[in-house]
Amino acid sequence: MELAHMAAALTIESASFNTPWTPGMFAEELAQDDRVWLVAIDAGELLGYGGIMLAPDGAHVMNIAVAASARRQGTARALMMALAREAAGRGARRMTLEVRATNTAALELYRGLGFDSLGVRPGYYDDTGEDAVIMWADVARLTAIAAAREGIDVILAIETSCDETAASVMRGGSETLSSVVATQVDFHARFGGVVPEIASRKHTEAIVGVVDEALEQAGLGFGDLDAVAVTYGPGLIGALVVGVAYAKGLSLATGLPLVGVNHLEGHIFANRLADPELTTPLIALVVSGGHTSLIHVPEWGEYHTLGSTLDDAAGEAFDKVAKLLGLGYPGGPAISRLAEQGDPAAIPFPRAMLHSGDYDFSLSGLKTAVLTYVRHEQAAGREIDIPNLAASFQAAVIDVQVAKAVRAAEEYGVRDFCLGGGVAANTALREALRVALAARGVRLSVPPFSLCTDNAAMIASAAHFRLRNGGFLGLDAEATASLPLG
Amino acid sequence: MTYVLAFDAATEHVAIGIARIEGDARTTIATVDFSAPRAALGRLLPAVHESLEGAGLAPSDLSAVAVGRGPGSFTGVRIAVATAKGLAHGLGVPLAGLGTLDAVAGRFSDHVGLVGVVGDAMRGEVYPCLYRCADGRCERLDEYHVAKPIIAAQSWAASLTEPVLLAGNGLAKYAEVFEAALGDRCSIADEGLWTPSGDSVLDAAFAGHQEPSLAQALTDPASADPGLLLPVYTRLSDAEEDEAKRAGAVPSTGVAGPDGGA
Repeated sequence: MELAHMAAALTIESASFNTPWTPGMFAEELAQDDRVWLVAIDAGELLGYGGIMLAPDGAHVMNIAVAASARRQGTARALMMALAREAAGRGARRMTLEVRATNTAALELYRGLGFDSLGVRPGYYDDTGEDAVIMWADVARLTAIAAAREGIDVILAIETSCDETAASVMRGGSETLSSVVATQVDFHARFGGVVPEIASRKHTEAIVGVVDEALEQAGLGFGDLDAVAVTYGPGLIGALVVGVAYAKGLSLATGLPLVGVNHLEGHIFANRLADPELTTPLIALVVSGGHTSLIHVPEWGEYHTLGSTLDDAAGEAFDKVAKLLGLGYPGGPAISRLAEQGDPAAIPFPRAMLHSGDYDFSLSGLKTAVLTYVRHEQAAGREIDIPNLAASFQAAVIDVQVAKAVRAAEEYGVRDFCLGGGVAANTALREALRVALAARGVRLSVPPFSLCTDNAAMIASAAHFRLRNGGFLGLDAEATASLPLG
Repeated sequence: MTYVLAFDAATEHVAIGIARIEGDARTTIATVDFSAPRAALGRLLPAVHESLEGAGLAPSDLSAVAVGRGPGSFTGVRIAVATAKGLAHGLGVPLAGLGTLDAVAGRFSDHVGLVGVVGDAMRGEVYPCLYRCADGRCERLDEYHVAKPIIAAQSWAASLTEPVLLAGNGLAKYAEVFEAALGDRCSIADEGLWTPSGDSVLDAAFAGHQEPSLAQALTDPASADPGLLLPVYTRLSDAEEDEAKRAGAVPSTGVAGPDGGA
């Protein structure tokens, strides 16, 4: 800001505040070495201005104002971001400002940028006797948001919600610089399912090495990052805790802001990573060993969980039936291979909640029906046709998933449908969904297998979108086993 | 100037200590400990941050981190270890280990004689460990292990010929078992001394009973890579214990994989 901007600035100033700054106050400010003043200009017209003072405890915002004609267009936000970058460049780690307690629009703007209310100065404003709210923000948070909005943010994401220890480095939410997954499947296979205690132990052993590998493949160090992201739910609590504790430690050590991501949101972003054409509104079906959820996404970042399983997840049902039949772990691939040779109509297993009128699922009854069938046949001395049983079981699972998926797509009038999670690798499910949705003009998006199963690239991509709106976790963040989405 | 941070969250109690090292002299400059049952994940790191700020330090002033490896609550140990890994990894400094039971025994460094630490191992078991305290320090006499309270108490009753001072959060459930077995040979320490303190985690980290020690980490950082440090569990997951029982094998303490390694 220069003296030449003064006349226009004074007009904005007096239109914005009851007790505007005088020309003398501006001149005094601009003359000082420890101040930085910036202006927002469009086609030669001054739209706004703002200034900071650099103090030992951080950068203090002295004044910020935007012309009435330029409000609600992101001008104040852009000014604040530019001031934050100036502050960061001059070594300030924190930024503070005062705002009128009644100025809800400004409070909301600053909160969205990562400012927290840390106190009140009672009766601070002489003209009305109003209180001032004292807000502070990490400069690193402000600059990370700015980078995300420009699409140049570099995020390290960490995922430990189940039995894969994963880390990924991503630029701008879509350019995968690295994606490393250390799978534990062999350690769990002999128990016929994921053993939470073993998963937690393996995450603790692997996490540093996996992060190092992700950074090395990306050719970057911690100093090149804008933010760290971590899955903080839903999932196995003991497993989530390892990733969250590690990521928080990393955040405090490096000063990098921490972004929390919902695991299911990650699965939806796996589709977006694989299919940049994908547009909202859409419906997503996330089916895995731990989740079976149908989610309405009216726009990126907004989620409404329409329904989920009331008991077993779809992948869990596959695993349990595979265990029952002695087919090994994980059960999905084994059952779908056998199902190819069987008759899906051979055994009439129940289609639970097919006509329940809602979007919830129940799979434990189907598992029990399979068990009852097996015992009944064995008691009668008949040999079980395993391919027929596998095909009939799989058809019962798929019929319900497809019926609810189609109904949701119709009810919400979407043209795009995302399938995600480990069970999305099931070819029969993909095909049944594709055919049923195509008949109604809805396009099915299925990511490649590497993005269907748990990975951190999808977490990094989701984190980029969260970061644009300033969604941060503090050092006191917890992991939540049943974290809701939307 | 060298600064080090040590903490433990293996019991339901969080203990944090920060020390300054100049040559051979070590000065404790911040300590805090507080009860945090089922809340260590939310409360440990903010308390570390506050301790650093209170001491006028930034995280980047630290030259090494030390963390309680257990034994204790599996989740509590992992919260502390994973937090410490993130801190040390992000700072690019070595990560040392300390023994949780050593840090409990360290509460009695002024005591002369035997100290028996009884850590709560849950599921009806304890981590029993004997120490001989003299000259302001406590030497560990046992390897860390897990045992039924009655077995641990009878073992001490059969072998000890001198008085023993008992401490540890396992006494909340099993003090009577040990008193019954040891009679007037044992006395129970004040409950406020059953868990580590900020001073005792620093002492345990420097004592070097649990690899790698803080002294070793500072002189040979490569030997204390944050990726290498692991919790001390003393027993397998339930799933593996059950499997070992079915197979009639003696369980080891690692997580065995398909290739036999861990």
